[in-house]
Amino acid sequence: MSTDVPTVADALASAPTDVATAPAGIDYHPSPSHFDELFAPDGSPRPGARALIEELRRLGPDGLIEAGRRRDAVFVQQGITFETSAADGGGSAVGGGPGGPAGTGTTAGPTKERPFPLDLVPRVLTGEEWRAIKRGLAQRIRALNHFVDDVYHAREIVREGLVPWRLVVGCSHFARAVHGIRPPGGVYTHVAGCDLVRHSDGTWKVIEDNVRIPSGISYMLENRAAMARLVPELFGSYRVRRVDHYPQLLLRALRAVAPSAESEATVVVWTPGPANSAYFEHAFLARQMGVELVEASDLVVRDDVLYMRTTRGLERVHAVYRRIDDDFADPLEFRHDSLLGVPGLVRAYRAGSVAVANAFGTGVADDKAVYRFVPDMIRFYLREEPILENVTTYLLSDPEVRAEVIGRLDELVVKPTDESGGRGVTIGAHATDQELARIRLLVEAHPERWIAQETVDLSTVPTVGPDGALHPRHVDLRPFAVFGERIDIVPGGLTRVALREGSMIVNSSRGGGSKDTWVLEDGADSERAGAGGFPVADTQPPALPDLRYGEWTGQQQQQQQGQGQGLIEPQRPGGTPAQPGHGDRGAG
Amino acid sequence: MLARIAHELYWLGRNLARAEFTARAVEAVFQAELQGAGEAAPGVSFGSGGLVAMLGSVQEERSAHNAQTLVSLTLDAAHPGSMLASVERAREGARTVRDVISAEMWEAVNTTTLSLRSGEQGTRHTTSGPYAASQYVKQRTALIWGVANRSMLRDEAKCFLDAGELIEVSDMVLRMLRIALGPAEAQGTQADGHALILLQAVGGFHAYLRAVTSPPNAHPVARFLIFERAYPDSVAACVDSLHEAFSMADAGPRNSKPVLRVSRLAADLDFQRRALPEGAELSGICERTQQELARIDQDVAERYFAGAAPAGQWR
Repeated sequence: MSTDVPTVADALASAPTDVATAPAGIDYHPSPSHFDELFAPDGSPRPGARALIEELRRLGPDGLIEAGRRRDAVFVQQGITFETSAADGGGSAVGGGPGGPAGTGTTAGPTKERPFPLDLVPRVLTGEEWRAIKRGLAQRIRALNHFVDDVYHAREIVREGLVPWRLVVGCSHFARAVHGIRPPGGVYTHVAGCDLVRHSDGTWKVIEDNVRIPSGISYMLENRAAMARLVPELFGSYRVRRVDHYPQLLLRALRAVAPSAESEATVVVWTPGPANSAYFEHAFLARQMGVELVEASDLVVRDDVLYMRTTRGLERVHAVYRRIDDDFADPLEFRHDSLLGVPGLVRAYRAGSVAVANAFGTGVADDKAVYRFVPDMIRFYLREEPILENVTTYLLSDPEVRAEVIGRLDELVVKPTDESGGRGVTIGAHATDQELARIRLLVEAHPERWIAQETVDLSTVPTVGPDGALHPRHVDLRPFAVFGERIDIVPGGLTRVALREGSMIVNSSRGGGSKDTWVLEDGADSERAGAGGFPVADTQPPALPDLRYGEWTGQQQQQQQGQGQGLIEPQRPGGTPAQPGHGDRGAG
Repeated sequence: MLARIAHELYWLGRNLARAEFTARAVEAVFQAELQGAGEAAPGVSFGSGGLVAMLGSVQEERSAHNAQTLVSLTLDAAHPGSMLASVERAREGARTVRDVISAEMWEAVNTTTLSLRSGEQGTRHTTSGPYAASQYVKQRTALIWGVANRSMLRDEAKCFLDAGELIEVSDMVLRMLRIALGPAEAQGTQADGHALILLQAVGGFHAYLRAVTSPPNAHPVARFLIFERAYPDSVAACVDSLHEAFSMADAGPRNSKPVLRVSRLAADLDFQRRALPEGAELSGICERTQQELARIDQDVAERYFAGAAPAGQWR
């Protein structure tokens, strides 16, 4: 082995399989009218991305195609697939957004399993960019949590005249059943995922809040694991912040809010069942947290206490991470025709014997019409200025605003207030005249069910095309926050990418893919790459001279370690014989 | 049975187990080092340097801990600590005892070696790190053990095969723990860092999550890996099974030195599991247990293999 320190790139490049020998130049043209995350407008790499671009260049189109093939094989083997259904958007995995199709339990139409579309070019965020996003999100989630609490209690924000009561109470996710209930710790939005986009001027805007059942976290974790296996060379000169502690954060948060005095709290993940399109994620989280994955038939409420049926009889449950909509959760309080619910759950919840994450009724906070008021909430509850901006939004119930919006339908985006996962969204600039006429009729019939937003220019990231070449494609970002005793946000999030040229629809149910999102540790940029090579772990392992191939060096070890290393006790039997080792089959 | 055959079987078991654990450890360390250190406090340090130390590499330049080292630990047959070298040794051993092990098992061992050697199954695709090769070795060793368990008679031969595996597994786990826990405990720092990598390197992540409620910090992980009898790769479980295997193989277990020693070690581990206070230092126990295992290994050689090939012979 050579004495100089080879870099990971050297090691990998010298490996038998030939990668592109002559680094072919990258023929990539960032779109002039959008912000590109990896390239500056003049076509040169952004500072944090230089080393990454260099590695991509080394890999070349053939290397990327080859890695893509391996990716699909690995994903199919591991069952990381999602189903696309013939019915419109029926089987979104990531795009499901809050709730998504959760609760329906069945998927309509014939379905097809596809490997999850992960693009091999990561998106890179510097530590500084990330800190701003993180602060902004924490602030926003705190305000949303205050808002939910307020709506079901004092309604101060309504009395101040900031949010119209009509809007709140008319919201389809407003839950009368939980009026006046304050969960442990006053936390309602335990798990939140806000969708962010980057405007052409480089500023971040929140486009949607998801505080009911945001999904996609499992794909974010699997993406990272897959990237590290498929294209480790890309990580070569970076220190990317880890994301794999998310399940532990979630578990800690759930335990923190669980009403359990004496023993360790029992936490469960509640899934509507294997037919649900996000079942992979439910099972993933349960496995990663080491808790039971339950269905409604496993749960039962007795005397206002929630139990699960086990082989040893009923066992008390303290906290439920539910992946099922309010509507279906308890047939006694919500939809009475739900077969997926647990009768009496809301009663137990009201009695405070079980914590439910997210709390019932949080849907009022991610209604698209309520979204318009989030900056006001931040000012009202927290007395702070919002760090992250909203997209300009118009409520259509006001006749004047409506008239103006209808005149500009072809430049705006129209969304239904209570849908998610990109369903029902019309982008004016891309719509046909027929579609515009249709949406106009719909808006005029039920103006309160629709909102209009200014079009946002989503930023682009180079994305591998079928030919292995890089093309700019539009992306958004969904970071995931966990709110227990405090708010924790895992670095990065799920970057969703529209795989069609020019498309801004990133939902996976509608042809979107995803990307790994890298948040760099401070000082970990291309400059460091030039200096050090493969990053070496900060703490060096101890020299254990006895652990040597072949035989133990008994005497020597005793002398060295006896010098205050504290590893062995002095009264160890002296003169340990040359022990047969590890390996040296004959030494004994 | 012939002492020579018993000896070969014992080392076949050891080599197979070592190949598997090397694969797991290389993969876990490689993945962990690609990314940042995370938000966890230090407490567990197990990087490529530790890996090299664990596999007892003869390599002296400790500076060259990097991807190169890891790649060579995977597929360099000339490197005695590499995964491929362990598999090659296992094949040699299996060839010698072809008549004792089932044909299916021999085939499984042979196929594994040949395809690793030739780089089929993309196992030579080291541009993407050791993932493909590690994955392959993990799957194949599982298959080999599965075939052995289904097709071999539960006789003396199987006992020696199992004994080799068990002693190697517990030794590997102990080595890893000593390297990972050593510095933190020596400096008296609180060993509360995330020990995820340790669990991944052993393959016990999910088992841990289901068995233990506390988060995967260094101390509970170490306790789990040493004392948890329900987890098959824990030291205590291995020592228990080792006792079973030797009691069955031995003609006179009541007077047999290795059996008595194993039995004492099992009882000692059980005692410590119950008697040790929370948060007590563990690296001392690891070291003493490992030395005891080495003594057992020696007793085994003396009692059962004394008539076999002269010591120190390498093929």
